[in-house]
Amino acid sequence: MIKRLYKLWPSSGILARLTLLHTFLAILQGLLLGLLFPILKALLKAKPDFGEAEPWLKIGAVGLIIYLIITAIALPIGFDASMKLSAQLRHHLMTHVTRLPLGWFTGNNKTKLARILTADVGKIGTLAVTIGAPAITSVLVPITIIFITFIFNWQIALIFLAILPFAYFTLQRAARVSSEAEIELDDAATEIAGRAIELGQAQPVLRAAGQGVTGTYRMRHALEEHHRVYKKGLGRSAVPDLMYTGVVMSGFIIVLIFGSFQLINGRILIAEAVALLILAVRFLEPLGALIELIGALRAMDNSIARVQSILDINSLPKPANPVLEIKNSSILFSDVTFSYEGKTTTLTDISFSCPPGSTTALVGPSGSGKTTIIRLIARFYDINSGSIRIGGVDVRDYDNEVLLNDIAIIFQDVYLFDASIEENLLIAKPNATRAELEIAATDACLHEVISRLPNGWNSKVGEAGAQLSGGERQRVSIARAFLKKSKIILIDEASSALDPENERSIAQAINNLAKDSTRTVIVIAHRPTTLAAADQVVSLDNGKVVELGSPEALRTSDGSFAKLFQQYEKARDWHM
Amino acid sequence: MNIKINYKKIEHERLKKTASVNYSSDSTAHTEALPPPRLIGGGALMRLLYPVRFYLLSCALLSAVGAAAGLAPYIAIAEISRLVIARPIIDTSINEIWFLVFIGCSGASLRLFSVFISSRIGHYADARTLHEIRTKLVAHLGILPLGWFLFTGSGAIKKAMINDLEEMHQLIAHALGEVIGATIAIVVGFGYLLYVDPRMACISISVIVLMAICFQIAMRSISIHMSRLTIAEGKISAASVEYADGITVVKTYNTGGILLDRFAAAVDEHTKAMLAWVLETRYSSTLSRLLGSEMTILGVVMVTGLFFVYNDSLSMANLLPFFIVGIGLPTSIVPAIHGTQGIRKGRVSASNIENILNKKPIHQAEDKTTPEEYQIEFDKVSFSYDGVNNAITELSFICEPGTITALVGPSGAGKSTIANLLPRFYDVDKGAIRIGGIDVRSMSSKTLLSSMSLVFQSIALLRDSILENIRIGRPDASLEEVVNAAKAAQIHDVIEGLPEGYNTLIDGSGGRLSGGEKQRLTIARAILSKAPIVILDEATASLDPDSETAVQNALAELIIGKAVLVIAHRLHTIASANQILVLKDGQLVEKGTHMNLLNASGLYSRMWNAQTEGVKS
Ligand SMILES: Nc1ncnc2c1ncn2[C@@H]1O[C@H](COP(=O)(O)OP(=O)(O)OP(=O)(O)O)[C@@H](O)[C@H]1O
Ligand SMILES: Nc1ncnc2c1ncn2[C@@H]1O[C@H](COP(=O)(O)OP(=O)(O)OP(=O)(O)O)[C@@H](O)[C@H]1O
Ligand SMILES: [Mg+2]
Ligand SMILES: [Mg+2]
Repeated sequence: MIKRLYKLWPSSGILARLTLLHTFLAILQGLLLGLLFPILKALLKAKPDFGEAEPWLKIGAVGLIIYLIITAIALPIGFDASMKLSAQLRHHLMTHVTRLPLGWFTGNNKTKLARILTADVGKIGTLAVTIGAPAITSVLVPITIIFITFIFNWQIALIFLAILPFAYFTLQRAARVSSEAEIELDDAATEIAGRAIELGQAQPVLRAAGQGVTGTYRMRHALEEHHRVYKKGLGRSAVPDLMYTGVVMSGFIIVLIFGSFQLINGRILIAEAVALLILAVRFLEPLGALIELIGALRAMDNSIARVQSILDINSLPKPANPVLEIKNSSILFSDVTFSYEGKTTTLTDISFSCPPGSTTALVGPSGSGKTTIIRLIARFYDINSGSIRIGGVDVRDYDNEVLLNDIAIIFQDVYLFDASIEENLLIAKPNATRAELEIAATDACLHEVISRLPNGWNSKVGEAGAQLSGGERQRVSIARAFLKKSKIILIDEASSALDPENERSIAQAINNLAKDSTRTVIVIAHRPTTLAAADQVVSLDNGKVVELGSPEALRTSDGSFAKLFQQYEKARDWHM
Repeated sequence: MNIKINYKKIEHERLKKTASVNYSSDSTAHTEALPPPRLIGGGALMRLLYPVRFYLLSCALLSAVGAAAGLAPYIAIAEISRLVIARPIIDTSINEIWFLVFIGCSGASLRLFSVFISSRIGHYADARTLHEIRTKLVAHLGILPLGWFLFTGSGAIKKAMINDLEEMHQLIAHALGEVIGATIAIVVGFGYLLYVDPRMACISISVIVLMAICFQIAMRSISIHMSRLTIAEGKISAASVEYADGITVVKTYNTGGILLDRFAAAVDEHTKAMLAWVLETRYSSTLSRLLGSEMTILGVVMVTGLFFVYNDSLSMANLLPFFIVGIGLPTSIVPAIHGTQGIRKGRVSASNIENILNKKPIHQAEDKTTPEEYQIEFDKVSFSYDGVNNAITELSFICEPGTITALVGPSGAGKSTIANLLPRFYDVDKGAIRIGGIDVRSMSSKTLLSSMSLVFQSIALLRDSILENIRIGRPDASLEEVVNAAKAAQIHDVIEGLPEGYNTLIDGSGGRLSGGEKQRLTIARAILSKAPIVILDEATASLDPDSETAVQNALAELIIGKAVLVIAHRLHTIASANQILVLKDGQLVEKGTHMNLLNASGLYSRMWNAQTEGVKS
């Protein structure tokens, strides 16, 4: 475990120092206790012999002062280590997470991540310091005492020594059981945490389904599971715990009886017997405390393992010599095949090309792979075969940041951060000027919203934007992309939640953006308004390109694109 | 003998036996909207713990017995020492020694068992309390006004259900027993020492008292520091959760990494808060740590004791108990001091939980009236989310069973608000909403909600199998019914194509489904439901023409004979509705059929033209 901790922590020098200090302290403590032997021997004579005790007392005084001074020194170092450890671990973890592929971010993993970043890292930070030190003391003080006892009474020392293997094995068993229980309990708690978040986010659905008051059966199950695991853990750990503590206690009883026996039979001096009994107590007490410490140590070990499990996930491979500049905004798909999970291929042999300055419409039935194409351009996933080139360079050869710097995406699933409208836009361009913000807002028809809301630009949008209407949310996300003014703009169903007039204005704004001859735009839409200005149409079905050509040509065929237009024409035929 | 059995180890929690400053906190709140923890709510604690009071009482009692028994071995050894030093060993004293040995051994055993049982009872009480409070929380959250969720955020719910309860666990399962046990141990131990030698007893105990004072000084501003730390942790959690939730946005706009900066700032703030606390209390906490060390007591007892012995005012025999019982005192009191910390935190958490439980729920009607027919009536309804701007003003309309009412209008006009008011996610400010002539506020929520099926504009899926996601409103629906609904919603083939078909687990955000697939899933939900009222909020907004037509046909069958509210921006989908209500800024501006409205050349016809123009160009 220690090794793993060292591995986790980049600058572990401070931990090593701390370990050294506490090792020294523990041994010193054992030695100081050992001094009781000669001191008591001298003083428990019929007439206390201070002369004989004096040198020992002096040594003891010096030792004690050193002990206290080092304790005082070690304390701030411990706090320092704890703070550094958790801060560094958090940064380290988060940096790693930023490089993980998109597919990793499932609901489950997100809950885990939040829990690990707070609870587990916090625990590692504090436990490494507040549990490590007592653990060292609890192990080394008894061992030192055994050595000292050997000098004075080897029989008792042997009894001490004999206790150790029993203690060791029962402790190991208790630790194993407790570690397993901790893992189960933590899993159960993580599940509840996830369900609690779901309870908040999906509350309308739950209520509409009449499950508002009871929670889903999954929630109920999670609660019951936690209850069950908790009780099971208690049940399973009862015997091992009792056994360890029983071993320590039996050790005590044996020493007490044996010591008394020797005392009564005059085998040892009274002074020696008294000193031995005192040492016996000091020997067994830290040993008894180990049962608590071992649980905490194992819990920490599990936390470390959880942190490690995130660090072990492979990030997207990085190119050896990343390309640091996008030459032009052309996009070229050649024979791209891709599958999310390996079983079913989502895209098969996709080839098309978007020259700089062009606008391409991606159409096709729901589930045909349109959104997937957009994700691949931004390299959220790596493809299975073929290549995607931007400005003539494979996307995998770019530095990821460089690539994304020149791409703006309007997502089908709008996501807003729980912050003000302004902050949500600034995410796209932190140093945007007021004027740029205003222009982006006007283009995205967001101005009307901002002027209507009481706090204007500073209006909070709520968790995931829940305090805005559907169309308002969508306009914020459009404005965000407009603000970025990238060379490449990818638009996925930008206006599905917008009324016709807003939709038209935004289509107009997109057209204006597309006029720039260095910019490449890809638009996905199910409505003609947004698609009207396309230079070419790529029509998908079931992950394959089924039609490719100019809008004029495709409008007269009977593919997806033509259908979009026909639908509006025969609108009145439809009866509910 | 201070043998301890403790189940600390099976839960993940920190042990703070030796750290004078206990600064750990694993709060994972992901919202800042929480009030900072305050030290109120002793009463809240009592109320929450009332159901397990007998457990707690016996737990406390056993801890007390255990603590007293735990001192027996120490005292036995001390007495044996006194005995053999005071006079030579003769036959009577041999019996006395064996008697003391017996006392010591039985004390140790008694301690072992009473602490074992006490801890066990405490943990069972804890397990029960956790479970009961959580169940209660879920139930209560289910009847709070929906706005509360938007305001507080799901992070706060998680905090109450996990972090606060974990703090309470600390209190129920550990702190209580520790404090009582330690108090008894101190009283008995100190009492015995007083009996041996009052002067020395007072000197030893004064070290402990001093230590306790230093500790209190070190902890004087704990509430401030704790709340600062909790807030910082909340921010760390919030930043990471936001980062993960919005990962697609984050990846695209990683210009400078605002969110990572937020995260880094939160981590820094956390470190700073910690540092401030450590610096403020560095002397007091170091001092209390030193005073609480058994080596310090050993030193003090040694120096003062030997001084008295040297002066002949104390016998060696009477000094020995201080080496045995006296040195053990800190071991008993340290848990007590930390236990009081645990109780403090437990109280803060208890009051957080009670705050939620005390939030006023939407009034629940007991009345069992069930409407006979399902006509929807809005009668001069006004409603505001924030108390400033009206989202709906003086809105009146009637939707008869068997007819379709379409709600159209610019984005932000208040259409979805209407869909939120009908199921009473919020209560109206003025006016009334009636179903079959009965005010929705006087219907039980069960009757009300089972009378309608809703498709929301913002799609929410549950982390569960596709099957359960579809039949959430009717958990008893058979697989066949679900399949039929899925077929009608044009999603069956997609589901069949998934690795485990209907049993495929999906993520809360619907990760593996495309936008239109998610939407069709929610439509299948509505189709499965047999409720007499149907509300569709942009139900087909992201569907392609083919599946839209198919879905519309399926819906057309579904809604025969029902009262239907449809919200749509794609006007052709509602052109044949019985009545079309045109909303703007929360007010009804036009009303009529498609043809009427086109001829009226108002907002509706403008919108219609805007939508069809693109086609003509
Ligand atoms: N993360 C994912 N994991 C596994 N499969 C996925 C994932 N995302 C999408 N799919 C599947 O890949 C296929 C294509 O999805 P995509 O989102 O690209 O469709 P789309 O054309 O954008 O559809 P829509 O118009 O409905 O948005 C779908 O069948 C979908 O179920
Ligand atoms: N939870 C909320 N808290 C505060 N204000 C809200 C909330 N939900 C909506 N609003 C505001 O109320 C107004 C009406 O919103 P509503 O969702 O009813 O609009 P809508 O007509 O459905 O629009 P869209 O077509 O864009 O979905 C908007 O201005 C919106 O900002
Ligand atoms: Mg899509
Ligand atoms: Mg809406």
